[in-house]
Amino acid sequence: MKKIAIFDSGVETPEEIILAAGFIPYRLFGDPTIQADKVNEHIPPTHCVWTRNLLEQAIRGLDPDVIGLIATHGCDRMNREFDLWLECVKLDFMFFLNSPRKRDEISLKFFINDLKELIAQLEMNFNITITNEKISVAIKKMNRVRRLLKEISSYRSQYKLKGSEFHQLVRGVQQIDKDEAITLLEKTLNELKNREVFNHKSLKNVLLTGSDLDDTKFVEVLESQGFHIVIDDLGVGTKYFWNTVEENGNPIENLAKYHLSKPIHATKFPSYDRFQVLKNLIQEYNIDGVINIANKFCEPVLYDHPYLRKKFKELEIPYLFVEVIYDRESYIQLSTRFSAFAEII
Amino acid sequence: MTESHIYNYRQDFQPLLKLFRGVIKKMSNQQVKANKMLNATQGLKNIMGRHFLAIEQAFRDGKPTAWATSGSPVEMLYAMDVQPMLPENSATVSAAQKLSKNFIELAEDQGYSYDLCSYFKTNVGAVTSNATMLQGGTRKPTFMLSTDVICDTHVNWFQVQAERLNVPHYSIDVPHVVSNTNNRQYNYFKNYVAEQLYQLLDFIQEVTGNEYHEEKAREVSENSWKLSMVWQDIYELRKNVPCPISTRDTFGGLFPLFTMPGLKEPIRLYKRMYREAKERVENGIGALKNEKYRLMFEGIPFWYNLKYFGMLEKYGAIIVYEPYTYAFSKYMNPKVTKEKVLNKPIEAMAELMLSFWYVYDLETRIQKFAETVREWNVDGVILHNNYSCRPNSCGLYDLKKHLMDDFDIPCLIIDADMNDPRKFNEEQLTNQIESFIEILENRK
Repeated sequence: MKKIAIFDSGVETPEEIILAAGFIPYRLFGDPTIQADKVNEHIPPTHCVWTRNLLEQAIRGLDPDVIGLIATHGCDRMNREFDLWLECVKLDFMFFLNSPRKRDEISLKFFINDLKELIAQLEMNFNITITNEKISVAIKKMNRVRRLLKEISSYRSQYKLKGSEFHQLVRGVQQIDKDEAITLLEKTLNELKNREVFNHKSLKNVLLTGSDLDDTKFVEVLESQGFHIVIDDLGVGTKYFWNTVEENGNPIENLAKYHLSKPIHATKFPSYDRFQVLKNLIQEYNIDGVINIANKFCEPVLYDHPYLRKKFKELEIPYLFVEVIYDRESYIQLSTRFSAFAEII
Repeated sequence: MTESHIYNYRQDFQPLLKLFRGVIKKMSNQQVKANKMLNATQGLKNIMGRHFLAIEQAFRDGKPTAWATSGSPVEMLYAMDVQPMLPENSATVSAAQKLSKNFIELAEDQGYSYDLCSYFKTNVGAVTSNATMLQGGTRKPTFMLSTDVICDTHVNWFQVQAERLNVPHYSIDVPHVVSNTNNRQYNYFKNYVAEQLYQLLDFIQEVTGNEYHEEKAREVSENSWKLSMVWQDIYELRKNVPCPISTRDTFGGLFPLFTMPGLKEPIRLYKRMYREAKERVENGIGALKNEKYRLMFEGIPFWYNLKYFGMLEKYGAIIVYEPYTYAFSKYMNPKVTKEKVLNKPIEAMAELMLSFWYVYDLETRIQKFAETVREWNVDGVILHNNYSCRPNSCGLYDLKKHLMDDFDIPCLIIDADMNDPRKFNEEQLTNQIESFIEILENRK
């Protein structure tokens, strides 16, 4: 089955529309084991390490089943970089989705228009028809995925599921056929129900936030330092499944409402609203500390950091902010900071 | 009006004049005496001095004030009798006063990364240290108005400062036009921006109590239109060989375009600049005595070291076009006619905000550069990879490649920062410039 790739620093691309078009939504993730080479001819080295990595991969060659790409606005580097993708990557279909920065009625109306345009262009490009009925079926399927993930996520706080295991699962689900994903998630859930609680006496419960971390190895490094990622607000995490899409009514409007009512990302306005989301999670999950990770040059996360630091200090919640180069070797260099933080909390 | 509300000319106005005299002097680089700026440009110090004084006066009178990011519809503020303040403009004052580095470091001490925008950090440092306007400080506004016309940094910047200063903040979300955006999309993009502009009118009225009057809006729009048209006329004169004016006139000359669009005073200044430049053209006088190479400069200049641009002149090189300074004469979209600007100012503004030169998509950017190079007889293009402006820097490599490969236009990319002198390596830059000039020489 052919795939439509998703280039999205958040998770605001409506996979349901891709499913209704008859393709597999395939979110692009970075590969921290490769070095920047060809991308150096297009994006300066002082720009977001994650998006540079994605373009590097794309120039080298994407999965052969990928026939199209939807790039969704996160920060304002994305639109400029989308033009570079148009230059460097030849696919049958390439669309820039202007996910609005704000969260109000005017933005909702605009987003509905942009989703309709996406549908129109998919239909025209692939000579297909995407009906509301097909989208509604896809919404039900995606809601099933979301509910399963949310239930599985709860096993993190029961100390039956490690954060890294869960991270890998959420990541995988964003790249595979959704029927396969449902089978995998159901199997995982059944297995978790019978799993023993792991020893967690010395572990520190942390909430992970920041740039959309997509390397499970990084989560494993955190775990090796004595942390348990009991909850997060990442796109490879809760943002992907926390709420479900309304199944009654106009499916396109429901999709737009769903994406604009999700916990806000650092790239959207007002991003300071994130704090309330994080505060609620801290209280609900009995968090010992917060780790905020910024991919190097991830400006939206960098802008929010001093505010979050201030607010967590007021809450008397230990808070660690770390900038990460998208390279596994650099994780080891951060170990000292992580172990010092573990000692503090 | 109480006595304290009347400004003291000697106390308030003179220091501002002195400041701008200093800034103008720096821009003119007195070292190269044969090459000088227009006499009319000296009037800029009065215009900008009055702008800063108007801010002070508004503050004393209790008149509503607003911080606005560049690219914002400042005209709407003037139309609703709100005094605008442009913190980016103030940040350049800090840089010209050699204060930006200290302010930036103050912001970094507060946790703002080394990699973030230097205008933003200059502003944070200036506010933190209660800097005066002479140092690039700004008054606490009644509210803040941001847009992401140029970049999302503006939105993040004002979110930070609105929270710290505890003032309301309205932000306009502008969708991004990319190389394959179609007309149908463009139309609903326009409507989205226009709806927000109408919402902005309500926001301003709610915060300030001031109402929107169409007649006043029309008057402001007409002045803004005229200001931009004269600026474009000045740019037309730069097509002449030798070029009558240089960056000495345009880098500083651009400030009224984004601080005072809608007022009459800057129109008079620009007209004087135009007349003097035209006279130079008629008499075959160039801003540079022996013009050999005509350059285009993309990006924001290094405000802390404007004299560096004067250094180009020793090679016989003159910058004849800067998309950055031209961009702020915003009426370049042929679909936005004067009639539309006067009769439908909100809708016209929405359209203009989507078609701003500084943020053209790559395909349009390449075409526009190629056209400009041809029309302005440009020999080579210098592209500033500005560490502080990633949206503008992104695409420069491909722009350069296309200009060189498709149009045989020599290009040079330089790495620096607009307001952070720590990221400016003069020796390395000079080596690059000299090599570039050699390339241009070999092509003659």
